[in-house]
Amino acid sequence: MLHIYRRLWQVNWAEQWQYRANLLMYLLYWLVSPVVYLAVWTTVANSQGSVNGLTANDFVTYYLTLLIVVQLTSDITIHLLASKIQDGTLSGDLLRPIHPILTNILINNIAFKALTFIGLIPVWLVLCALFHPNYSSVTGSSLLLAIPAILLGFSTGFLLGATLTCLAFWTTRVYAIGEFYTALVILFSGQFVPLQLMPPTIQRLAEFLPFQIFCYVPIEIILNQMPPDVMLRNYGVGVVWLVISIFLFKWIWREGVKRFSAVGA
Amino acid sequence: MYILRLLSAFFKVNVQMTLAYRTDTIVNMLINLMWLGWELLSLNIIFHNTTSLGGWSLGELIALLGVFRLVNMLVAGLIWPNTEKFNASVRDGSLDYTLLQPVNSLFQVSFSRMVIWRVWDLVLGAVLIILGIRLSGGGATPFNLVSFLFLTVSGAMVIYSLWIVLIAATFWFIKFDNNVTILQALMDSGRYPATIYPGWLRVIITFVIPIALATTVPMQALRGDLNGWQILLFLGVSAASFLVASRVWKAGVRKYSGASS
Repeated sequence: MLHIYRRLWQVNWAEQWQYRANLLMYLLYWLVSPVVYLAVWTTVANSQGSVNGLTANDFVTYYLTLLIVVQLTSDITIHLLASKIQDGTLSGDLLRPIHPILTNILINNIAFKALTFIGLIPVWLVLCALFHPNYSSVTGSSLLLAIPAILLGFSTGFLLGATLTCLAFWTTRVYAIGEFYTALVILFSGQFVPLQLMPPTIQRLAEFLPFQIFCYVPIEIILNQMPPDVMLRNYGVGVVWLVISIFLFKWIWREGVKRFSAVGA
Repeated sequence: MYILRLLSAFFKVNVQMTLAYRTDTIVNMLINLMWLGWELLSLNIIFHNTTSLGGWSLGELIALLGVFRLVNMLVAGLIWPNTEKFNASVRDGSLDYTLLQPVNSLFQVSFSRMVIWRVWDLVLGAVLIILGIRLSGGGATPFNLVSFLFLTVSGAMVIYSLWIVLIAATFWFIKFDNNVTILQALMDSGRYPATIYPGWLRVIITFVIPIALATTVPMQALRGDLNGWQILLFLGVSAASFLVASRVWKAGVRKYSGASS
């Protein structure tokens, strides 16, 4: 099995490497919103000293960390898989004796991530030079504690993304559903603003939804802002959602493949 | 008159194409409404925590959102679909047929595709602008209102001119089909006043990819932040950029040699 993954990695890495110019454009797309929100909130913080106890530096460190964390936890399955289901090319993958999503699509996701990450590092350093974040609250242990959260965030995000994409077995409008899902993620994951500035109802909801582990939880752990009991609860919620998303994905995949009749077959 | 007849012909063809995908149109409009809700919610969250953003009130930011919608309509409703068509036609050589027709080639390349439902954004944008002006006390003088209207149009002209230069670049670098991505990518910055951004970003969106000229600057005129000379300067920049852009386009067309030759 390990052998298969290694081979898939080689293929996908080479494939991603072909599209490096597009990757730069993707990075640019991806950078603008966080930088805009960063500017909005530091303006507010500077004009009144702090926002709800958050200083300008808190916002700078939050959004700069966000750029790294969300890059690591994000998932592009819908762009890789939806068209395959719709035009029927999935049937080729189904013939292989391995699970197409948990092997090829997963590795493709990771290869994309690895390559964009390499591109992100220099850009991130330039942004650091421009915004002068003060990262004194970060410690080695806070970084280590955040690693499981990032892995949990990626696994859950990947499985939920794959589940959502499998709706393509039933409907042709999976991209519209995907856009709705993206809006939910931006709202509840802390991508727009640190969740403590959200209205209380949204905060309460976010605690029980799977999205804050994609972004808010790892960032707060890295920045040493999350008390241990809250961290423990968030990890608990994250694990529960990981289990739920495993079952959801297994179920929808089984039902979907049963329904699948390749175009032209 | 001839141009107007052509425009209405383009419009009819595009309406027919839209009617073939009715449900898609409705779904797209719903998604568009959802993002509007999201934008208003995000303003609500910001103003939950403060009373002004860099000197701008909630009403002014709502009006800015309206102006942003108008610019976005231009980009998503005209620029984006026409770019796709244009890039494909340079690659496969079908641009030859456009150039052979006895109509201004730039006109054809700019207006042959329209995403009809985006007209909806015109309505939403206007509603947001009026609502925003009302909310901020309606203190705008007639002079401010008129200069706002002129600068909105001239800002859109600047974006359009930049687009012409970007797609004309395809004549020199055939494999340049990422030509408008940079414009798309920076669009998001138009939702907030450029004055709050750090200097380097402000320079980029004012001088390089001048989204701020089409969003922040008209709003500044409405707030009365600009004097007569500045307004004239912006109008002049817009006229000059269009002149330069149409020159570049003509030079590009002369350079174009078809895909197969």
